[in-house]
Order: sequence, then C-alpha cells, then structure tokens
Amino acid sequence: MAANTNFIDPSVLASLDNLELRARVVVEGFLSGLHKSPHRGFSVEFTDYRHYHQGDDMRHVDWKLYARSDKFYIKQYEDETNVRCFVVLDSSASMGYSSGGMSKLEYGRTLASALAYFIMKQRDAVGLITFDEKVRDYIPALCRQPHLIRILRALSALTPGTTTDVVKPLSDLAMNLNRKSLVILISDMLDDEQRILKTLQSLRAMGNDVIVFQVMDDAELNFKFHEATEFIDSETHESYITSPAAVRDAYLKNLNAFLDDCRKQCQSNGIDYCLLNTSKPLDAALSSYIFRRAKSF
Amino acid sequence: MTFLSPLFLFGLLAAAIPIAIHLIRKEKPPKMVFSTLRFLKTTSKKLILFQQIQQWLLLLLRAAVISLLVFAFARPLLDSSISRLVEGEPESVVILIDASMSMRYGDRFDEARDAALDTINGLSAGDEIGVIAFSNAALGVQELTTDLDTARSFVSALEQPSFDATRYMPTLRLADDMLAVARHESKRVQLISDYQANALADDDSGWQLSPGVSFSGVDVGEGASRNLYLSDVRSPTQLIESRSEYGVLARVRSAGTVHVDEADVRLMIDGQEQGRARVSLQDTSEQVVRLPVSFSEPGAHRGEIRIGPDDFALDNTFYFTLDVIPKIRVLLVNGEPSSNWFEDEAHWFSLAIASSEESAFVVNQIATAAVTAELLTQTDVVVLLNAGSDFNSTQGRALQGFVEEGGSMLIAASDKVQASGFNQLLGGLSPAQLGNPSLLGAGDYLMVADMDRRHPVLFPLEGEWNVRFTGYWYTQPVADASVLMEFDNGVPALLERQVGAGRVLLFTSSLDTEWNNLPLQSLYLPFLHEAVRYLAQVGTKDRAYQIGDVIDLTELADSAADLGISNAAGNSIALDGESMLYSASELGFIEVSSPARNEVFAVNSAPEESMLARVAVSAVQDAVTNSDTMPIQSERVRTAELVAEREGSQRLWWWIIVLTMLLVLAETRIANTTYR
Repeated sequence: MAANTNFIDPSVLASLDNLELRARVVVEGFLSGLHKSPHRGFSVEFTDYRHYHQGDDMRHVDWKLYARSDKFYIKQYEDETNVRCFVVLDSSASMGYSSGGMSKLEYGRTLASALAYFIMKQRDAVGLITFDEKVRDYIPALCRQPHLIRILRALSALTPGTTTDVVKPLSDLAMNLNRKSLVILISDMLDDEQRILKTLQSLRAMGNDVIVFQVMDDAELNFKFHEATEFIDSETHESYITSPAAVRDAYLKNLNAFLDDCRKQCQSNGIDYCLLNTSKPLDAALSSYIFRRAKSF
Repeated sequence: MTFLSPLFLFGLLAAAIPIAIHLIRKEKPPKMVFSTLRFLKTTSKKLILFQQIQQWLLLLLRAAVISLLVFAFARPLLDSSISRLVEGEPESVVILIDASMSMRYGDRFDEARDAALDTINGLSAGDEIGVIAFSNAALGVQELTTDLDTARSFVSALEQPSFDATRYMPTLRLADDMLAVARHESKRVQLISDYQANALADDDSGWQLSPGVSFSGVDVGEGASRNLYLSDVRSPTQLIESRSEYGVLARVRSAGTVHVDEADVRLMIDGQEQGRARVSLQDTSEQVVRLPVSFSEPGAHRGEIRIGPDDFALDNTFYFTLDVIPKIRVLLVNGEPSSNWFEDEAHWFSLAIASSEESAFVVNQIATAAVTAELLTQTDVVVLLNAGSDFNSTQGRALQGFVEEGGSMLIAASDKVQASGFNQLLGGLSPAQLGNPSLLGAGDYLMVADMDRRHPVLFPLEGEWNVRFTGYWYTQPVADASVLMEFDNGVPALLERQVGAGRVLLFTSSLDTEWNNLPLQSLYLPFLHEAVRYLAQVGTKDRAYQIGDVIDLTELADSAADLGISNAAGNSIALDGESMLYSASELGFIEVSSPARNEVFAVNSAPEESMLARVAVSAVQDAVTNSDTMPIQSERVRTAELVAEREGSQRLWWWIIVLTMLLVLAETRIANTTYR
C-alpha cells in the first residue's frame, strides 16, 4: 500500500490536539497524493484590487490596469460557490467507543474537521450539525475563514452524548435547506437504520447529494474478544455476559447483515456510502468526497 | 471392581474444585462498555442454550478428569475376589483350625470358623481344600477335596473347642502329609489360631514344612486378655484321719496380655467353702497361697480351688480329690530284740515310720513266736527284721496265706537269719533263696550300683544312694522275682515278688547299722515309707488329672459294660468300645461307678493352655516354612503379587489415563468456544 504511506496513521493523528492542525495534516497529506485537478475553479464575483505580492498567481493580474497604471494589481473576488456542504456528525454515546486507538467520535471529528478544512479550501460553504438524541450544535454553511475556526472550535468541544437519534437532525436540516446542498453524515448508524435511510432518501429526493460515512471500530467489525466478558451497552447500559468465541459468528453475521443493508439501501437511493474503520487512515473518506464532489459539480 | 489403593479415592473430593470455581467465578467476568448489544442480543436462543449446555458439559468434563485421575491412582481392578486371582493357579490348601481350650476365650472360635469359611469362599473351582480341627492333636479331619461345599459343611459343623492344650507341630506334620499327595503344585497351609506362645514352646525338633509348601496365618487372638489361672495346686494325696489340719497350696498366676492385680481364692470341699484368701499380684506375676483344710471322716472328698474374677472363667477352678484313709497297720517281727536301742533293728525301723502321732503308720512290734494267723488278719504289712528262719510250720503257712490273700511283707535279712530255715519256711514267699552271708573286711564295702528307678518304691527317692554295705546275703532270685536294686558286685540288694494278691520285698542286708550305714542316710526314712506304703497297696490314684490324660479303669471292673461314667453335669460318658481306658476330655469331676466301688476323678485343663501370651504369626511362619520354599510368602504377599500381575494385564489405569487425556482435549476444545 504505497499510496497509503502518505497518510497519517489515525493513532498518530490522535496525538495531535490541535484540531485545525490535525485537519490540515490530513488534507495536505491527502492532496499531496492526488494528481493535479483538472478543475480550475468556478465563477467568482470581483470585489477589489490589491497590490501584487510575489508568489501571486499571474493569471489574476489585471493587465488592463497595468497598462493604465504600470503597476501590478491583483483582482480580488468574493467567492461565489454553487455548493453548500453540511457535515452532520453523530456524537452519541456509541460513537465514544474505542477499542484502543481513536474513538469513533474522535475519528469522526477528525474527518469532519478535515472535510471542513478541505471544503473551505475549495471555497465551498460548509456547515456543521452535531447531534446525539437531539441537535447539539448547528453552524450554518458559510465560506469564510473565521467560519472554519468556529466549526473547528465546535468540533473540539464535542463530547460523547447519550442515545442516538439521527432522524431528527436530518429532518430539521431537510426542512431548512432551500438550495441544493451536499449533506455528509458521519455516524455509526447504530439507530433504526430504516428510519435513517428513509430520511436520507427524502434528503436525496429533495435534490441534495448525500454522503454517508459509517464509522466503525475495528473491534466492532471483527469482534476479536477472547475472554468471557460482561458487555455493557454504551447507550442503554444493558449488560450481557457471554463468551466472544461462542457468539462471534452470530455477531458477525448480524453485523454484516446490518452493514450490507445500510450499503445496499444507500446505493439504491443514490447515496454515497463509505464504511470507515477507525484503525485505517482517512484517505478513503476524503477520496469518496472528492469523487462525489467532482461528479456533482 | 475393587481398588488396590483405595485411599486415593478420597481424592474424589477434589472433583468439587471445578464446581467450587464455577460457583465462585460465576458472577465475575470482566466488564466492558461496548457500543451496542444489538448484534449480540439477536444471537439465537439455541445458541444461548447450547452455550449453557457447553458450560455444564465443561464442568462435567473437568470433574470427570479429576475423578478419572483419582480412579487411575486408586488402581482399579476387575474381579474383586481374591479367589479369582488365584484362579489362574490352582492351589491345594489345608486349613488348620485351632480348637484348643484357649479358643473358648471370647468369640475366638467363631472368628476362626468365619476366617476358614472366608478362605474356602475365596477359592476357585478346581482348588483343593482340606480342613483339620486340632488342639494338641487332630480332633477332626476333612481330607483334601475339590468339593468346597463339603469343606464348608465340615467347618460349619465344628461345635465348641475342646479343653485340650495347643500343639502346632503334630497338626502341621499331618497337614504336610496331606499336601504330599495333593494334586496341585501350589500348596499352602493356613493356620487359624490365637497363636499362643506355648503352642511351639516344647518343640525343638527343627521340623519344617516340605519344600514348596507355603504357610499363612490368621490370628484371631488379637486384643487384650485378662486371665488368672492356677499354675499349681498341692494337696495331700491321702490324709490320715487323725491328723487335725492339712494345707492346700495354690499358685495363682496372671497370664493374660493384661495383668490382673487382685484375685480371690476360695477352697471348696464337697461343695462347701472351707477357706478364702485375697491375693495381691501387683508386684508379682504369681503368688502362692495356703488354705487350711481338715476332715473328720475318712473316705473320698472332692476339692476345688476357685479364683477370679477375670475374663476367662474356664480355668478359674482347679479340681482335685482327697482320700482320707486310716493308718497303715504294720506288724513288726523283730528277730533280734536288744535292750541297746542302737543295736535294736526294730528301733531304727519304728523311729523311721512311726515316730510321731501324725504318722500314717501304726507299728505293732512282736517277737517271732507271737506271730499268729489271727494277728495277721489285723495287719496290712508284715515286716520281718532279722527273722524268718525261726517260724514254725504253722506260722509259715499263716504267713503264706496272708500274702496270697493280699497281704504284703518286707523282709530284711541279716546275721540272725539262717538260710536253710528261711528257704524252707518262706521259700514260697521270698523273691530269692538265700545263699551265704558275706561280711566284708574293715574298710571294704559295697555300694548300690544299679536300681530300677521307675519302681514305685524307688521312683520318689531323688537322693544319691551313698550307702556303704559291709554285710549282705548272696541270693538266688526265684523265677517270678524282680531285682530292683543291685550292689556294685552284681548281687541283688532289693528284690520283689508277687505272690497271689500280695507282694513281698526282700532287702538282702540289715535295716540297722550292723551291716550298712543306711539308717544314717537321709534316704532311710523315705525309703521305708515308700516301701511300706507300696506294700500296703494303698490306692495310688492321682488326686487330679489333666485334660487328655488316660485314666485306667481296669481295677474297677472286669469289662467296660460294668462301668458307668458321668461328667460333672451328670451326663453319661461312653467309653470307646471295650477299652477300659478313659481319656479325660471334660473338665470337672468324673464319676465312675462299678459293682465293686465308685470312684471320682478330678480333671483340670492343662496349665499352659491358660497362658495367653502370644507369638507372632511371622515367628511361626519363619519356624515352619522350609527355606527351599521360594519365595516364602504370606497370603497377603502372595495375593499382592497376584493382584499386581492381574493389574498389569488389565492396565485399567492406563485406559483411564488415555480417557482422561481425551477428556482434557475435549475440555480444551469446548473451553475455547465458551466463556468458561
């Protein structure tokens, strides 16, 4: 996996406290591995001039003004984007689970910040919604540099909540969207997946693009426990004593059925679906976003 | 199934360990917060049930592993019967069951019978079995047979032990003889006894069982025993009616494995208590006590010495009989009276046998001419001192008739006797014809060189005959005479002749100091006492017999049909055929009635049978087992070897270990698929 060598291992990434730095490391590392994008930008609206500084793109020099004034001026534009992105991050208690490395919430937070950073870097507007059983943070989609700071600050302050209710924030979001938007759901989907997918389906029907990042811990995916254990549900606090070896097959069977159901339903509704393992780098998530972004816009 | 190391079975308690661990650890698995249980809780109920079954199965497996290991160490063996082990090697066995009196102690005899039956039950079809019940000799014999039921019946039919003493060697020899013709190569003698030390005490022959005959012992005499017995009782054989008091001596001994400190001793005469004494045995193992007894009437009396208390009552009574008789009337014919007592032969004689009032003899001293037939009818014994040649023919015939009718005579011939007259008048009575007198010179003398020490007169005389004879008669013994004593020149010194119903003793020297120094010797008095008592033909019945002694009844009747014998309980006892000999087999007084008279005999147990000191089985085994019998094995050792052989062929422990290993593998497999 030579391509992966450019990406930072999540366990190393988790050691970076600064979320902005973490997002930058992820995105820059990801971008350094990409070919140069054929897309050159998008429509912009002129706002002002400023003096040329070394290193500015020569394409943005106003040659007409240079002819008149014999000085280099760079044309400044106010971003005008066609894309508004909403990163919807699940911060329920189940997202706080970790089998040793980054928790799912930490992983999702890093992903959300990286996406926000990347989206802002693409001069798209990005907003943030965090929730557990209710919406905890709502940051509208804007495309200004201070806005990123606000998003990162909200993500930094995020702690695992209680139970999960994905439907409500998505429903609220759908009601407030008056433009075509990109909705990025980062969640473990450990709720009523049928209701979730139904809501996502309605979002999709409204013309929005939807990307689902289903974050799962490696222990959840493989269930590599050995000793008899009393498992306690992180949300309902129910307990269950069992021998992992005895129930592993049944567990994996049930889990894979759940994951397959999620993936198939997403695919059937034109929803991008990406299963993320918290022990793997974030490149898969970003690749998925780039692919979707290029396809839509 | 049996176990060779059954103590290991206590290890089965360890099977509780997995159960205890199961219970202790049941509620203590580690806790883990997991994202969701939705995928766990939807596992099927069958899986949960199977998981629970797995847990119980695991528990059972672990308990089974421990249990099987315990069983393996306990060395299980199929076929518990030892007989089955012996089955592969047929055996000829002779069981010796001790039926001596000591086996009457407690329930020893029942234990012996049970042990014998156990041995028989342990044998297999084809084995040979013989049984001998014994005491000092074989009491009953079951010859070697393969019919085990016959042997069982024989053992079951054994009733009470005898009153006899115990002797192992005669019965061991008999068993060895039986096994000499046994059909099987493996031969064994099993001795079931209380192993009294006395059973081998008298044996110094060094006899051993034949090579190849092994010995095994079953000891039924284990445990403490308290026993008192009378090791000796001395009572006067014949009491003289005029004597006021006699003493009965009783030697009381503690002979059990536990010492008895105190004993009561009682003297019973004709059922009435005559005396009592308390004996302390605290510092000694035996004590002698004297109990006075007196009689007012002549005749036969029954005496008993009773001791107690202890745990073995059979030997607590010593039975004896006493005959109170009148004094023996002695007619002393003095052929040479003298006023000088030192030269008066009658003086020496009278001094010896009738010097006190308590003497058993009454002496009537007369001259030769005073002998009459009437006087002889009032006489038991006639003593001729230096007389015999001076009688007239009437006197001679009177003396002849007296002796022939049962009277007796003692003749001491010395210098006043003339051989021709003596031989003529008393030739029909005298044991010998007198020849010439022989008087030795000064400093010369003869000694007694030979004598018949078994003769009743000489038997009790234990001293040395250091008598010097300076004068004696050469004699020619008659055909029916016996020479009882000879001088060192071969000339008879004492002769005896049976004449009719009477006896005549001839002493060929004087009974004073004229021809010898006999009166100055310590033997003089007992010699005369024994001689006169013998001549008086006083009944010499023993005052007490022991079990096994033979009592001669020929003097009481002419045939067994004329005899009636009954034991102490009054039950009639039959003699063996026409035999006039009764072998004492029951304790107590045996009454014998005949047309002539009634007689009572006292029968006691053998004192050594009361000594319950014991000898180790191994000591008897070592003593009787032939060194060529290889190996010398007790039954236990032999059985152990057979068991080991059988165990080796079965190797149950090996299969159990294999099964255990399989269970361990199964346990590992299951344990890896379940949480416990």
